[in-house]
Amino acid sequence: MIAGHFGFAAAVKSRTPAVPLWALMLACVWLDVVFVPLVLTGVESIDSVPGQPPGAYGAAIIHANYTHSLVGAIVLAALFGLAFAERYGRRTAVVLGFVVLSHWLLDLPMHRPDMPLLPGGVDPVRLGFGLWRSPVAAALLELALVLVGAALYARAVFALTAEHPAKRRLGRACAASVLAAGLLTLALNVLGQ
Amino acid sequence: MSFILGTILFVVGVGLLDARLPWPRSGRGPT
Repeated sequence: MIAGHFGFAAAVKSRTPAVPLWALMLACVWLDVVFVPLVLTGVESIDSVPGQPPGAYGAAIIHANYTHSLVGAIVLAALFGLAFAERYGRRTAVVLGFVVLSHWLLDLPMHRPDMPLLPGGVDPVRLGFGLWRSPVAAALLELALVLVGAALYARAVFALTAEHPAKRRLGRACAASVLAAGLLTLALNVLGQ
Repeated sequence: MSFILGTILFVVGVGLLDARLPWPRSGRGPT
């Protein structure tokens, strides 16, 4: 899941307008951002389901004992929130930490059982409800997250710009951009790009 | 590619566009 995380972050922005959108968007994929250098250094890895081409939608099996373990995700969420606490305040830090952790929670129904509870590979339990085995259903769930997130964000933006008429055009551009970027990201992901 | 492009689009593109809206501010710094 990629686009669905961004949709969720857009929905959170509509409820927490003081939290910067760019920080919410970074928070919602922070586990994957950290995952990339760990893959490049061989600490974590990603495979495809046998018979599926690399990058095919819903075919990933991750070996991510740090970034995608529940305890690891909680630690990364806490660190991410702390990094924003001094400059943006405690409430923003808590919201951002929650959005980081939401990544693990939203991955849970999608992944095949490949997400541990404890970091370091000491935990034999692997969680994941496997909705990716039904790529159409998984893509529809992601599409719903994108559409709902974009709609909630647009509603918040339009309410804001109703009080600032000079910003109405910018508001429409922001709302359209969230929807367009979400749909583009989802389309590329589904197409295996 | 979808992960990298999506992250850049949302964090840099949409995020910076949104930062020009008059949202309420949090903390001591700019948002």
